Amino acid sequence: MGRVIGIDLGTTNSCVAVIENGQPTVIPNAGGYKTTPSMFAISQDGKRLVGHLAKRQAVTNARHTVYASKRLIGRRFDAPEVTKVIELAPYEVVRGPNDDPRIQLGDKVFTCPEISAIILREMKRIAEEHLGEPVRDAVVTVPAYFNDTQRQCTKDAGKIAGLEVLRIINEPTAAALAYGFGKKRDEKIAVYDLGGGTFDISILELGSGVIEVLATNGNTFLGGEDFDRRLVSHLLERFQEQEGIDLRSDAMALQRLKDAAEKAKCDLSQRETAEINLPFIASDAKGPRHLNLELTREVLEGLVDDIVRQTLKIVESCLADAGLTPSQIDQVVLVGGQTRMPLVQNAVAELFGKRPHKGVNPDEVVAIGAAIQGEALLAEDKSLLLLDVTPLSLGIATFGGHFTRLIERNTTVPVRKGHIFTTTRDNQSAVKIRVLQGESDLAADNDLLGEFVLSGIRPARKGEPEIEVSFDIDANGIVSVSARDLATGKEQSIQVNATSTLSDEEIQRIIDENELYEVQLKP
Amino acid sequence: MHLGRSAQEGQVPALAPGLDPARLPLSPAEGFLLSRIDGRTPWKLLREIGGLAPSEVDRCLERWLEEGVVVVASAKSAKSAAAGSPPAGPSKPASPAAPSKAAPAAAPPRPAAVAIDESLLDRSLDLTVEAQRRILAFEQRLAEPYHQLLGLSADADTKAVKRAYFELSKEFHPDRYFRRNTGPFGARLERIFKRILEAYELLSDPTARAEIERAAEERAAVEAAAAPPAAPSVPAPAASQEPTEAPSTAAAKAASVEATKRLRQLPHLRAAHLKQLAERRAKAKRFFESGMAAFKAERWLEAAGSVRLAIAFDPTNEAIREAFGDVQRKAHDERAKQLLREANAALDLRDARNALRLFEEALLFKPHDPGANATAARLAFLIGDDLKKAKEYAQQACELEPNVPSNRRTLGQIYAAAGLAANARRELEAALRLDPKDLEAKEALRGLGRR
Repeated sequence: MGRVIGIDLGTTNSCVAVIENGQPTVIPNAGGYKTTPSMFAISQDGKRLVGHLAKRQAVTNARHTVYASKRLIGRRFDAPEVTKVIELAPYEVVRGPNDDPRIQLGDKVFTCPEISAIILREMKRIAEEHLGEPVRDAVVTVPAYFNDTQRQCTKDAGKIAGLEVLRIINEPTAAALAYGFGKKRDEKIAVYDLGGGTFDISILELGSGVIEVLATNGNTFLGGEDFDRRLVSHLLERFQEQEGIDLRSDAMALQRLKDAAEKAKCDLSQRETAEINLPFIASDAKGPRHLNLELTREVLEGLVDDIVRQTLKIVESCLADAGLTPSQIDQVVLVGGQTRMPLVQNAVAELFGKRPHKGVNPDEVVAIGAAIQGEALLAEDKSLLLLDVTPLSLGIATFGGHFTRLIERNTTVPVRKGHIFTTTRDNQSAVKIRVLQGESDLAADNDLLGEFVLSGIRPARKGEPEIEVSFDIDANGIVSVSARDLATGKEQSIQVNATSTLSDEEIQRIIDENELYEVQLKP
Repeated sequence: MHLGRSAQEGQVPALAPGLDPARLPLSPAEGFLLSRIDGRTPWKLLREIGGLAPSEVDRCLERWLEEGVVVVASAKSAKSAAAGSPPAGPSKPASPAAPSKAAPAAAPPRPAAVAIDESLLDRSLDLTVEAQRRILAFEQRLAEPYHQLLGLSADADTKAVKRAYFELSKEFHPDRYFRRNTGPFGARLERIFKRILEAYELLSDPTARAEIERAAEERAAVEAAAAPPAAPSVPAPAASQEPTEAPSTAAAKAASVEATKRLRQLPHLRAAHLKQLAERRAKAKRFFESGMAAFKAERWLEAAGSVRLAIAFDPTNEAIREAFGDVQRKAHDERAKQLLREANAALDLRDARNALRLFEEALLFKPHDPGANATAARLAFLIGDDLKKAKEYAQQACELEPNVPSNRRTLGQIYAAAGLAANARRELEAALRLDPKDLEAKEALRGLGRR
């Protein structure tokens, strides 16, 4: 049996870890970096570039460099999140045949799982080089708020990358595993994860080698990049004030501004002021223009304060879900590069009434946790068990367009829950069971996972027939839904297969294509 | 599931944990059989006392096994399970105390010393025999009250509940055997874990826990009251009957109380379930009442439909089942009447085959209708496809009304057609004795003589 790796497939950076001699270890890439940018590019001369190589040329090759594609994966082309990416990204997003967003680089169109697969393959390669042996098994992390489709697409990406994804686990859960690894004490911890692209908060309980997720919450569209964006807008405005030139339509200038903003943001976590110096950012009739500004921590904090406060609201609602007060939390673990910002640390400390835990590296902790879970699943002696939960509520559409939950989010799996429903019309002989996933009380706002009809209901006055609908989630997260007419015993059921934006044939085609490509690469 | 007869005989069916028998679509007979299944009575004995033909008992049990309604344990384990918890029933001495909090709390945490069916162990699987033993033993305990399942006393605090849940999870969560070949033990682990999770969730929820405790008290009260046969205030549905009853009804009542009690001992004591049960009973009552109203108004079919629904909602209610007998008889009569009307209409249209089919269907509901038997015999004879069938109807008609000449004549004609000359002669002569002017009988008799 080969080794199992843990991969943190991040929006902006990815990280891979493995358990070596019982110790979790982060594997550095060829450049010695422990994280690798989740970026992919096709260079002018048609070469495929991944990670640092892609990032290094991103400025000059902005239109053919993909970043933050995790924001698109498993979404529909018309989703507001996709529209937002299209507005901001220098690369071209097109509508795929399954109504999914795809990325066009030159004359080649890539699906989002394909892009993720390229990053995953790179992480796999980094691990193989380090271990000196082939790697097949992996645990991959996703934000807690990823829905079934997004998770399935991430699994597909693993398959395309030649990985067997044992489990998809939530990033904050992984962080808690990393924190709880080897700890004997019973405690309740909060994992505050503000990464590049997403925000997640999870409350977990550790006790005698078992980790139980009490509650999770988050926002898939809130992260460090929002900080960057605020800063970029600020810089654009100030440049326009000073020089009267709008750089918004200049892709190359935007990319430079973005890089500079990100760097300044990081600098301001250490220092009170930062200088932004971008010579020849633009030119007009009067000649070349340079951007030269000084930024203070105070200004930055003023720009993003509301975003940080938004995260605190989510933390509070998560605590409420777990039935805990902030003071009942024994430990706060910070994850994600953005938590290095003093404003974030202070806000979190203030809310919980204690300083966050310092022992874990926020960039590496998720990958480490993933590796720990991989090891825990395959190891002979079971010293650690993760009681994982369903990320989103499951239920059915009921009369009046409502959504009735049968399995609340954060329910430990495997689990079975049932509920009795009835008809809404006299002599109604059939009911349609529409299986939904999501948190809205309105059926239409949630994701439809599948539907089926239970017919042959004995004619009766409305409200009299009793139809038991039950949901069953097995240990691998596969959901089955059944409906039974209690009077006749008639039953209908479906297994809800998480739908991907890719068909199996498409996945196979991509795998085959990549094989060809691999062959080409070899000298 | 296909088992050898002898293998079956030793098995002891038990209701699957978490099962709500009230939700099964059962006929009253099947409901009775189900009520005999108590985890102690072996299959063999169920064939005797199940109230159905032994083959029917086998068929039902096999179906329920397949559907997961019942599970089986070996006789050995059943014995020790019985030893663990004393058999309940009228023989049990009445608990002296009125329902009190102390009664359910007194149940001590029980060690998992349950005998298991060794034949289920499989050395080729990727989990140790010891682990298999523990899984099998724990699976047998799934119907135990929640706190007992977790190995806790009834007053254990939430911290203890969580600790027990964590410890049991470490042992029984399916991830413990991730990617191992666990054969049928994989499904067992899932069942066990789901149940532990349920116990943990409900015992950690103060509202649900209060309901569980209330239900346990109620159960204790029923148990206490069930001991003297004519207890004045048993809070079970059967208690609404008069205390002065024939012995058979008293036995039925005791059985019903026991069934109710067993129902309550089943692990779905949570609030929602109890509410559902109450709602179902209320619904059963409503259907029963409207059924009886229809019965009074002589709308027999409607009455039977309603009462059948009432039984579906409350299969353990003996009073409803008893009433169902009368209602069903009337409904059958009514249905037979309808079918006979249709059959006669078909006769008027000279549609013999259709008429015969309708008469036969009517006879299913009313087998002793002489006219229907006579006409069916006549039609079957005239169609001539199945003389045996014709003969049976004719014989039935003659038995019911031996002095109707046409009945004898038809039977005689059928015998004649079948070549049974002596029988034919006897019947035709009888017909002529009853009605000397029966030309057709004379004709037939003559035909017989010519042969």
